[in-house]
Amino acid sequence: MPVKAISEYKFPSKSRQELYGDDQLVHVWWKDNPWFCAAACFRAPRAMPWSDFWSALVVPFFEEDPDWSPDQQFAFSIDGTPVEPKATDTFADIGLVHKGVLAMVRA
Amino acid sequence: MTIAPKAPRKLSMKDRYSALTRDLAWDPSYVTNEEMFPFTNFEGITIHDWSKWEDPFRLTVDAYTKYQAEKDKRLYAVLDGFAQSQGHLGLTDASYLNAMKLFIQGVSPLEYQAHRNFAYLARHLNGPGPRFAALCQSLDEIRHIQTEVHTLSNYNKLYTGFHSYVWQHDRVWYLSVPKSFFDDAVSAGPFEFLIAIGFSFEYLLTNLLFVPFMSGASFNGDLPTMTFGFSAQSDESRHMTLGLEAIKFLLEQDEKNVPLVQHWIDKWFWRGYRLLALVAQMLDYMLPRKVMSWKEAFDLYFEQQMLGGLFVDLAYYGITPPKFVEQAKEEKEYLSHQVYWTLYQFSHAASFTTSIPTDEHMEWLSANYPKFDELYKPLWEKEKRNVAAGGRHFDRGLPELCSVCQIPMLFTEPGDPTTICQRHSDFEGERFNFCSDGCKNIFDHEPEKYVQAWLPVHQIFQGNCGGASIPDVLAWYRMNPEDGGEYLGSTDHQNWLAWHDMAEKTGGN
Ligand SMILES: [Fe+2]
Ligand SMILES: [Fe+2]
Ligand SMILES: [Zn+2]
Repeated sequence: MPVKAISEYKFPSKSRQELYGDDQLVHVWWKDNPWFCAAACFRAPRAMPWSDFWSALVVPFFEEDPDWSPDQQFAFSIDGTPVEPKATDTFADIGLVHKGVLAMVRA
Repeated sequence: MTIAPKAPRKLSMKDRYSALTRDLAWDPSYVTNEEMFPFTNFEGITIHDWSKWEDPFRLTVDAYTKYQAEKDKRLYAVLDGFAQSQGHLGLTDASYLNAMKLFIQGVSPLEYQAHRNFAYLARHLNGPGPRFAALCQSLDEIRHIQTEVHTLSNYNKLYTGFHSYVWQHDRVWYLSVPKSFFDDAVSAGPFEFLIAIGFSFEYLLTNLLFVPFMSGASFNGDLPTMTFGFSAQSDESRHMTLGLEAIKFLLEQDEKNVPLVQHWIDKWFWRGYRLLALVAQMLDYMLPRKVMSWKEAFDLYFEQQMLGGLFVDLAYYGITPPKFVEQAKEEKEYLSHQVYWTLYQFSHAASFTTSIPTDEHMEWLSANYPKFDELYKPLWEKEKRNVAAGGRHFDRGLPELCSVCQIPMLFTEPGDPTTICQRHSDFEGERFNFCSDGCKNIFDHEPEKYVQAWLPVHQIFQGNCGGASIPDVLAWYRMNPEDGGEYLGSTDHQNWLAWHDMAEKTGGN
């Protein structure tokens, strides 16, 4: 249903991917850990391999939890569908779109 | 020689009111009605007869200004007395002022927005009665922001966090929640605005917003804010009456208006309710001396008064309680805890401070919320251990935001308070995330409106907020290091202890 307005009502999204150049936004949601009140939002290069994303962005955020263990294994999913990221995978390979949400639970 | 003019004939208040409204209205002759009132058609609302608008109160300009001037005089006398007698030392604790920091940063600028849009209605509604009612409310609202600023500026001389509320309102992540709420309303048409602000905000939810803040003030020794509250209260009863008259008028004018009005009630209940998340945590966590729990306030002011009273009356017109109201009822057990836990871990980027609830406070929370011990107490116990080990839980990054309410996505699934609720829609090839079915429903009705949302987290990542690091962003927010973070040991806390120490030694209050 379009907005009812006095003239044409059409504006570009203020969060669209092109505003981030070669990067995109990615949410990581540690589903079974209430220590973090919400999923985290990261800006990362679209070509970034999964292992770099994990060690450069995800771990530094989540290791703030005093119970964090570097040995913890996780199971991942996107919108309910399980995914298994490989070290060299990009977001596109995993199926993570701009502003997509990657969920993880302790394996 | 001059002939002395005859003494003016005294008109009754009723006659003067009608001279001011009806007698000053006319039918245009050289333009059409539509040219004179161009904004009351596009929303699809049908009005057959503007004269059917019942004026719920009949004020004239002289009566209005006389009454308001008296109230102002009383307020300013209290402010002077409070300042001269160091009244701030009689607050329950300096941490109480966190509630007032939130109020001036989040709520006061909305008074100004309300002032502006009611002034617009005072020009653009077709009927003279509603135009004059809107004019009075427009004057009330600018008086509200003015008196709020004067009331709280007394604290600004002595406490942190009050200094840049206008600048911050337009920029800071948690203030984008109230700002975007009102932006949404003022960018709608005049009828939607009447339902959004006149009805939903000023009638449906007003007691849940103002009573907690004003009772919080009276329970915590804040006489100036309490006096401001009394001074605004008589205005508020007029605003409530206007909101109620507006909805009845729209519903009675044409049956075709009912579904439109229903949709606006659904939308604005949910938007207003999400905004009240800030009030919920304020009641349960920020007030050193508690007034009532959020759960009690919601039960009394919303479930009993609105669902049990107002909506029974509105059923006559075919109006049903707002969509997703069941979710709000369920959330009253969890809401304040989830929100404060969020503010706690992001208060390093806020203009207020937070702290672990004391043991006594924790007992109050357990006693009032049966799920507290199971769901939230363990988090605070863990944080106590963290602090004992030299830590402090501050998030090292930014949260996922809801694209409609703009709150970090902290809310949980219906029926499952342990799993965060994640919803999304795709619009023109782009994904948008939402905190709830209520917010998703609002987006899906008008996606064009919300794709333009200025979401703080996304803007920070685009480099539009002063830089890429947290210190850059805080500098751009005009936040000083002492404005936020942990309360214990903060500048406000240390000053408070020192002032009381001094007062004891010198025998002062
Ligand atoms: Fe107001
Ligand atoms: Fe008001
Ligand atoms: Zn939302």
